[in-house]
Amino acid sequence: MNFIDRFMASWRKYRKPGYYEEFDYAWTMTVDLDRCTGCGACVTACQAENNIPIVGEKELGRGREMQWIRIERYWEGEYPNAKLSFIPMLCQQCDAAPCETVCPVSATYHNQDGLNAQIYNRCIGTRSCAVYCPYEVRYFNYYDHHWDAPLEQQLNPDVTVREKGVMEKCTFCVQRIRQAKDHAKDDGRRRVKDGEVQPACVQTCPSEALTFGDRKDANSVVAKKMNDPRAYHVLEETNTLPSVVYLKKVRANAD
Amino acid sequence: MQTEVRQARFADVNDDVVRSLVVTGRNYYIALGIAGFVTLTCFFFPWFYQLYYGIGAAGMNSPTVWGTYLASFIFWIGLSHSGTLLSCVLHLTNSEWRKAMYRSAEAMTFFSLFVAITMVMVHIGRPWFIHWAAPYPNQMGLWPNFRSPLMFDVMAIMTYLTGSGIFIYMGAIPDFAAVRDRTTGWRHHLYVLLSLGWRGTDKEWHRLGWAYTFLAVLIIPLAVSVHSIVSWDFALSIVPGLHQTIFAPYFVVGAIYSGTAGIVTVMFVLRKYMNFEHYITKLHFDNLGKLLLLLSLLWTYINMLELFTGWFSGTSTEYEQLKYKLTGFYAPLYWEMILFCAVAPLLLISRKFRTSFVPMLILSIAINIGMYTERFLIVATTLSRQYLPGSWRVYVPSLVEISILVGSLALFVTLFLLFVKIFPSISIYEIKETMGVPKKHGEHHDT
Amino acid sequence: MSNVDRRQFLKLVGAGGVGAGAGFMLAESIKHPVEYLIPYPIPPEEFSPGIATWYNSVCGMCPAGCGISVRTREGRAKKIEGNPLHPVNQGRLCALGQAGLQTLYNPDRLTGPMLQSGERGSEEFIQTTWEESLATVAHRLAAARDGGKNIYLLSEGVRGHLAMLLERFMDGLGSEHLMHYDFAHPHALYAANQRLFGEHTLPYYDIRNTRYLLSFGADYLSNWLSPVHHSLGFGHSRQGTDLDRGRFVQIEAKMSLSGAAADEWIPARPGSEGILALGLAHQILAGGAYTGSDFDDWNAALAGYSAESVAERTGVAAKTIVRLASEFMKAEPGLAIGGGAVDNHSNAVDTLVAVNLLNYLVGNIGKPGGIVFNSDPVVGGPANNRQANFIAMQQLAEQARHGAIDVLIVNNTNPVFTLPHASGFREALASIPMIVSLSSFMDETTTMADVVLPSHSYLESWGDDMPQPGLGFPVAAISQPVVSPLYNTRATGDIILDLAGKLGMKDSMPWDSMEACLKDGWRQIYERSSPDASDFDTFWRDVLVSGVWGEDIHRQDTVVVDKSVIDNIDVAEPEFSGDSEQYPFFLHPYMSTAMYDGRGANLPWMQELPDPMTSIVYGSWVEMNPATAQQLGLRDGDLVSISSEYGSLEAPVVIFPAIMPEVIAMPIGQGHSAFGRYARDRGTNPLQILAPLTATTSGSLATHATRVSLAATGRRAAPVQTGGDTRQLGRNIVQFTGDDSSAGGHSANLNSIPIVVKTT
Repeated sequence: MNFIDRFMASWRKYRKPGYYEEFDYAWTMTVDLDRCTGCGACVTACQAENNIPIVGEKELGRGREMQWIRIERYWEGEYPNAKLSFIPMLCQQCDAAPCETVCPVSATYHNQDGLNAQIYNRCIGTRSCAVYCPYEVRYFNYYDHHWDAPLEQQLNPDVTVREKGVMEKCTFCVQRIRQAKDHAKDDGRRRVKDGEVQPACVQTCPSEALTFGDRKDANSVVAKKMNDPRAYHVLEETNTLPSVVYLKKVRANAD
Repeated sequence: MQTEVRQARFADVNDDVVRSLVVTGRNYYIALGIAGFVTLTCFFFPWFYQLYYGIGAAGMNSPTVWGTYLASFIFWIGLSHSGTLLSCVLHLTNSEWRKAMYRSAEAMTFFSLFVAITMVMVHIGRPWFIHWAAPYPNQMGLWPNFRSPLMFDVMAIMTYLTGSGIFIYMGAIPDFAAVRDRTTGWRHHLYVLLSLGWRGTDKEWHRLGWAYTFLAVLIIPLAVSVHSIVSWDFALSIVPGLHQTIFAPYFVVGAIYSGTAGIVTVMFVLRKYMNFEHYITKLHFDNLGKLLLLLSLLWTYINMLELFTGWFSGTSTEYEQLKYKLTGFYAPLYWEMILFCAVAPLLLISRKFRTSFVPMLILSIAINIGMYTERFLIVATTLSRQYLPGSWRVYVPSLVEISILVGSLALFVTLFLLFVKIFPSISIYEIKETMGVPKKHGEHHDT
Repeated sequence: MSNVDRRQFLKLVGAGGVGAGAGFMLAESIKHPVEYLIPYPIPPEEFSPGIATWYNSVCGMCPAGCGISVRTREGRAKKIEGNPLHPVNQGRLCALGQAGLQTLYNPDRLTGPMLQSGERGSEEFIQTTWEESLATVAHRLAAARDGGKNIYLLSEGVRGHLAMLLERFMDGLGSEHLMHYDFAHPHALYAANQRLFGEHTLPYYDIRNTRYLLSFGADYLSNWLSPVHHSLGFGHSRQGTDLDRGRFVQIEAKMSLSGAAADEWIPARPGSEGILALGLAHQILAGGAYTGSDFDDWNAALAGYSAESVAERTGVAAKTIVRLASEFMKAEPGLAIGGGAVDNHSNAVDTLVAVNLLNYLVGNIGKPGGIVFNSDPVVGGPANNRQANFIAMQQLAEQARHGAIDVLIVNNTNPVFTLPHASGFREALASIPMIVSLSSFMDETTTMADVVLPSHSYLESWGDDMPQPGLGFPVAAISQPVVSPLYNTRATGDIILDLAGKLGMKDSMPWDSMEACLKDGWRQIYERSSPDASDFDTFWRDVLVSGVWGEDIHRQDTVVVDKSVIDNIDVAEPEFSGDSEQYPFFLHPYMSTAMYDGRGANLPWMQELPDPMTSIVYGSWVEMNPATAQQLGLRDGDLVSISSEYGSLEAPVVIFPAIMPEVIAMPIGQGHSAFGRYARDRGTNPLQILAPLTATTSGSLATHATRVSLAATGRRAAPVQTGGDTRQLGRNIVQFTGDDSSAGGHSANLNSIPIVVKTT
């Protein structure tokens, strides 16, 4: 087979509809907005787990926040009928991710678990993925971050510390998924059990608004939640096929 | 009598051009010194600081991750447009008036592309790995992402750079030979190398003409494609305000527009300071003025279309984007752009205006300021107002960015100044061709 | 997925041996606090490099007492998660709890004992040794004891064996002046429970099983009592059952985090919440929900609280009052709680009695989904009986000014920061000849100390805890060190034991270390509970592994409502400092999610956690209604000066849609003058300008009883905000559904996600 044929063969393979369905897992997170209280525990848990730098007041003032999950807040109405809703916003691990197509060096790609992976080593920092992402969940290392000693002793050895000029984002705590798979393998199981792996944010969520699992497993909690009539995708019109499913907030007197 | 004048002209051509290469006044050195100094202090020092500190030295923030560097990149790519493209088109249509200006126009293309590529280096987070964007075989088996519009961009720009480089060089070979024959010392050796042993035989002339036309045909679609592809960097995203089908023609028209204005500026300077009054005449300004007017009308039309699309879409994202553009934080810049690029060029309707040098210079500079603003707004207004209102944030360029912008201009000027001392900045043989053809009206003799 | 209810939890604990941590082993490695660049070049046997070890312990960031599991790798703490076995938090943890690692690895920790060398407050210290500093303190204490002088011990609210040690220590010194001081302690709630139920304790509020929660000012999801447990309950009540979705109503002057989560937020005039509660009680009586024999007495007592008159006094529409009462009555069951601002008005006790009365009238005392009373803690006496209210703190200051205090020992509490300037507390400290501070950080109170004895962080210490409020059944948890001590610090218990040894109190405190004391104490629990474990060592080991112990015991006696309450059920009008002409606004200082009472300010993660309501990081601000701002001509980010009768401060304006126009709100926690690099000189502390007004009968500081005036300074100082616009603009980002049942709503279009079910 010559080069062109080989290229076309792999092209067809990747272009085949349902390519991702052949994978073992399709990790999914559900966010129940009716449970979310906006407390921010997920934000700090993520910061602790994923070595997310402390940015500092000056740089935050310039808009360089790094937290991979953030709580967006939306007001409706005016006093005294003002209402506030929170929505945790994190990488949606889209199946049709705009960020993946634009990276000129393929530093972000779709891995075998349907995760939108970011290879820090390969990133050259064009930041185009952040432009293409409609959810604004990619964060750029505008400079080398610094931890005042001995805060660096807390850094998680399972997660790298990113250098300047590199894009980063939520990984669904891929290091935990990796570990759970290894455990499953050690136990002689082929699959990770439902609930065996939880990203830091899901693990800590005090109101249990976040759940995580494999949507390919029809008995998993997430698969059931996805069938809830409240389930929806944020910015569904962009057709990014996200792996994060939100459950609508219930408004007792919404119309 | 007529013959006498013509022969004198013939002699003058070579003398004038070679003089411009060999005789260097104090003013040139002062100009080069200033330009070089500004390049060093405003471009390279801030850039090195940014390399050391990180992109954080620029004012970009979380939603607006692209800023003036990318705006500058589009601007320089745009500026690069008219030169070679115009030269090719006019070559194919046998426009006489092209011949005095095309060399400098092509040089402008080449150096604009060079500066544009430099801006990419400044723009990206880890420029020391920029070669990863190039498709070269390596033992890791890693290829760039061929689906990426940025990848298309790398290809298109490199092709355009190569094409226009060959085009300008090939057109100058007979001139190098002419200069070679009139210079001594290191210059002679240089031009021996550059002229590739040109002897001026019929066969050589024939082949040059054929190859030149071939390249001209090749480069026209290339030039159109380059800026279409640059526009895809934006239009292939789903960012409201960028995701527009009009973007490719919009960018191409904008590019030719700013490029043509750039040519007017450069020609004014050459004419004034290189003593080319005899070669660059009112005729050139008149014709370029007409072209500018046409382009400005096209550009205005596309802008109106863009507004219409935003209004007609009826979606919150597009509509807010439109409202923000017209009345938001960056609105003063928008209206400045409209004034410079849509309103002011209407003056070109008047022939008197078109043939007045200083007003044309002022207008051409104004158009390019407006066009730079356009590129800035394309990046800033859209990225700071995307889908999620909760992440909206305004972007203001930092001092480092402004300094690098100024520095990149100085870099361009420096390169151009070096160019005019090495390349015959108007084409000797083609000017002579013009003269060789008897004119019904000897207008250009009077100027 | 850790929906551990009580039975499951007990089962799990009974099974024991679940988990991997074996904390006591660590004791061996703690003996040599040597620091290596690579931890453990020669690793101890039980460690495998690259494999995480988890230790179960107790969170020390707030008094709720959640259980934690700390992940350590190569001897360093990497992550704190909730202990899934602990019934309070069931594996969950709040942001502040997550940030506990940064108290351990804080760059501003005190590294060794110090003596003040300059003036007090100058923060000029010289390093000393433990031997010397403890000898100095012991000598001084002995002299004071023998000379009959007063010794005061002011501690944070501690529970379990440390509380017992402090008691015995002070007994040994012949002093009765042991005081616990927590800023957030709900004194008025205790007093109200005392008055209505005759119990000076906190009951268990069963939010999990309630179907209708009326919260009077209690920010139960953010910082009231046990926020993580309440959040679990909230989530469960909302979407965790097949029953009707729980409804939540929040009544407060400024929308809190709980107010945002509630289905309905109702602003009521500050201090009038109790009147509203009585108005609801009136409606409940009229609705026939209460059938007690003393119906007529109640009816007579509440006759003056018709919907119309209450509406006039509270600013809540009569229609709303009638509706709320009817909803509350019909809910099966409904629960009313009060706290936060309600706990901090001059009429707080009256108000909270009125709120509790609602629970009583609909008969949900001692029922699931209502109020469940706790039995006494398994170790030590009733918790929190030593809590000092504002009056007690003022008395302390008064005594100090009169020179009646010879030695003051402060344990990890920061009254200089949390008491208003008007209390004169800081100045009073100057008259105390000797102040000893046990603290991990150079906080404002520690800057005043003569001797600083740096204590371990809670992640380096032994301890135990009985969560308060309890859960309706006895629970005790062990706190164990998860890493070797970083610095030359000592655990509070060990310091006390050491001093006790030097002062000849070996009889009452025979232990060498806190660990020994704990082990001794837990022998009682072992004997009492007769668990599966064959001997105590196995039991101890199991407890260390699981981190928590519990018992399936409930209180059988029914709580009786004191009928004399009927005669003085009225809620007094709240008192405010400052007249309404000169000081037109009510100041509403509130504890923020991240900072708690100010203890979060030195943690960079907490500084960078955007305030959920405003998305502000690193700073202070003042929230006001858009109408108020417009009236005063203020914009977002304008710096205003806020003045009370007792001082003034400056803060930037944040326009906040859900606050009453006559109220302005400020977060507590910033404005430290010490406390490390992240906290110092950042923002302002609204507590400084509070009037020293107290709540009647509870004697606690009425933090919401200060009126203030606002004046523009003409300067701008926009706070750092991470969020952008706050309106959705019809983009359907947060989507709503009117119907909760699965049948209703339009089915979400998720077909675009490829879902393939594979059986393996």
